Amino acid sequence: MIESILSLTFLAQVLRMFTPYYLGASAANFSERGGVINIAIEGFMIISAFGYAFFTLTFGNPFLSVFMTLILATAFSFLYALLTIKLKINQIVTGVGFNLLMAGTAKFLMMFVYQSSSNTPAIQPIPGISLLNSIPVIGKAAGDYIIIFAFVLIFLSQFILFRTRFGLRLRSVGENPEAAETLGIKVRLYKLYGVLICGVLSSLGGMWLASNQSSFSDGMIAGRGYIAIAAMIIGKWKPVNIFFACLMFAFFEGLEITLQISGSFLPTQIVQMLPYVITILVLIGFIGKTSPPAADGVPY
Amino acid sequence: MDSENNVIVEYREVTKKFGNFTANDSISLKIYGNTIHSVIGENGAGKSTLMKILFGIYSQDGGELIVKGKPVKFKSPLEAISDNIGMLHQHFELIEDFTIFENVILGSEITNTGVIETKDTRKRIIDLIDKYKLGLDIDNKISEVSISEKQKVEILKLLFRNSEILIFDEPTSVLSPVEVDEFFKIIRMFKAEGKTIILITHKLNEIKELADRVSVLRKGKLVYEVNSNELDLEVLSREIIGPMEVTHLTDERAGTDYDSELLLSFDSVSVKKDNVLKLNGISFHVSSGEVYGICGVEGNGQSEIVDTIIGALKISAGSLKLNTGDVSLVPDDRIGKGMIKEFNIGENVLLREKNVTHFTKKNIKETSEKVISEYDVRLSDSLSPLASLSGGNQQKVIFGRETGLDNKMMVLVHPTRGVDINSSAFIYKIIIEQRNKNKGILLISSDLEEILKLSDRIGVIFKGRISQEYPKSDFTFSNDEDKHNFMVKVGKAMIGIE
Ligand SMILES: Nc1ncnc2c1ncn2[C@@H]1O[C@H](COP(=O)(O)OP(=O)(O)OP(=O)(O)O)[C@@H](O)[C@H]1O
Ligand SMILES: [Mg+2]
Repeated sequence: MIESILSLTFLAQVLRMFTPYYLGASAANFSERGGVINIAIEGFMIISAFGYAFFTLTFGNPFLSVFMTLILATAFSFLYALLTIKLKINQIVTGVGFNLLMAGTAKFLMMFVYQSSSNTPAIQPIPGISLLNSIPVIGKAAGDYIIIFAFVLIFLSQFILFRTRFGLRLRSVGENPEAAETLGIKVRLYKLYGVLICGVLSSLGGMWLASNQSSFSDGMIAGRGYIAIAAMIIGKWKPVNIFFACLMFAFFEGLEITLQISGSFLPTQIVQMLPYVITILVLIGFIGKTSPPAADGVPY
Repeated sequence: MDSENNVIVEYREVTKKFGNFTANDSISLKIYGNTIHSVIGENGAGKSTLMKILFGIYSQDGGELIVKGKPVKFKSPLEAISDNIGMLHQHFELIEDFTIFENVILGSEITNTGVIETKDTRKRIIDLIDKYKLGLDIDNKISEVSISEKQKVEILKLLFRNSEILIFDEPTSVLSPVEVDEFFKIIRMFKAEGKTIILITHKLNEIKELADRVSVLRKGKLVYEVNSNELDLEVLSREIIGPMEVTHLTDERAGTDYDSELLLSFDSVSVKKDNVLKLNGISFHVSSGEVYGICGVEGNGQSEIVDTIIGALKISAGSLKLNTGDVSLVPDDRIGKGMIKEFNIGENVLLREKNVTHFTKKNIKETSEKVISEYDVRLSDSLSPLASLSGGNQQKVIFGRETGLDNKMMVLVHPTRGVDINSSAFIYKIIIEQRNKNKGILLISSDLEEILKLSDRIGVIFKGRISQEYPKSDFTFSNDEDKHNFMVKVGKAMIGIE
């Protein structure tokens, strides 16, 4: 069993599991740094996974489909921003509404377009970089644009949040919007930016899952949007810490799959519980009190 | 100075309304370039509102505002800032989780294709800190610095933006005497450099010392203006209050014919906060029927004394005795610790009462109105949230609520911070009344005059312990010179000389 964990196959597995978590967690982080809670990461992933499947089945071109799905997710983000920022509707209620709406829409359209309640026909995955794809074992992961982007995002989001004017202003709006306003910062505009980035990143996470599985199926996101939010909290809203939190979740998910395949002595239910139990233990034991941006979730 | 072409800001019949309430009523006012212009008036008179119009936070409902010769109607502070106007607000507008550097540059960042330029900007800020002797470390987080340092950060923000017209809204109310002197030096440096300063204050001595011209607001109207050469403080205070009765401080102290009992005693108490020793074996006591005044420079352990009494901090050595039930508390940070700013007066008062289990709209309204009339709170609507009240009126509400609880022991921190002269006198009167009712009062203030006026005994706090203690006989003066000498002595003790 130890050998199967130390193998390259396992590493590739972890890299793959890591990707949707990190995209989702960074998505949530950009939104919350601007003071808007978005618990609809799950919904954005579902609708984007379906959207990618739908567009490739309709148009055939994967890159065009990615582009169209991003437009779809951005449209939903504008709607989310309209409700939470402009109309100041409670962010949790709006988020729950979006989750239900998006899951329902995907299911309805699947039934309507493909006459199936479980999955779409097989789709074209997003092509990778063929040079890297040819590396043995880990090639598929190493040549995957979205996986590569997820790793670049660790440094990119750290850089954007802490070294650029945009990041400084976005954070100020999430910490103390009144103070930001007295300095002439357009508070609602920055909140909108945060929500839009959130939509785009979570959409990439959803698309990746559909592409990786070569179809969209009902329930395929399987709570990853929520785990991403947990990872953001464990990572204390800091890109590098979030990376480690996501890596932990990915490790345990990989472990769960490996244990299931290698037929461990533990019942599967126990193995499946692992990531969640670990989360609680980590929260109690190591992380201590976490404090979100001071004006997180407060409408302005 | 009075030459017309030297007018830098002019209000022409400016009116500002909140709903039906007129906060500024057709005000016409000229401010001359390179002068220190003071605006004074009771709590709720409309001073902050008038300044917020100039800074683009509010826009006027009527009238014209003319800055440097051209009519303006700022839609946001950004527009005011780009006209070189800067404002130091009555309440700090800082981001606690940011460093001083981040707070200073926010909104006026120097960037290189979106990336913040740090090297030259840091140097520029450090040079400003050195030039004005602000003594700040730009990598400290705001949550780690003292109140007077926070204020210096606000000043630094103005300097960084090259502000030429500087609005200070009650800048000295949070400072101790030593810090006030430092602040005055900075103001004078600004004037020497050609800047124009608008200073809002409740303290007449500051006007006497600094102002070139004074404007008095009363209930939203401009009622009086005078140049410094014709300034008479008697006349000025009458103009501020208007045709109202002046509250006189009765020095009537009832003889203590009750048995005085010990209510609070600190016996060699040490307290650590974040592993730093904040109270260092401090000893003092407060008995019933006395006001014990603690004075000192902010940050020498005052807030830790309060946190220890209310149980928010644990004692690491020594012993604390509290021989009374509940303690009434007027905290230093009235917005953060003293109230729920989204709630109205009645809700804030009822929340603190133990025996109230349910509220009705009616008793919330009645409670609000009771406090409003007893403490002469000025506000636009009796059910407005506390956040919309002017600073001094918020303070009156909290003070009123805590006295109303009728607890044996009261802890008052800066009880008249931001409160106008007449209301201060009223609050002083109530403090003496409470003392005469055999209450024990711990008074913590950086205002030495206030401490002298009210206390029966005084302790000077320095580096977490009471370094000097004076009985009443030491500060019962027969002439002004004695008083002056005593104040100099205490002032020195406060900064640890002697
Ligand atoms: N946003 C607001 N909404 C409603 N009423 C307001 C608002 N801002 C101020 N007011 C009211 O306008 C009046 C003037 O307030 P302002 O803050 O200008 O007073 P001030 O002269 O600065 O008083 P202080 O000395 O206590 O700071 C007050 O009665 C206040 O309740
Ligand atoms: Mg004010």
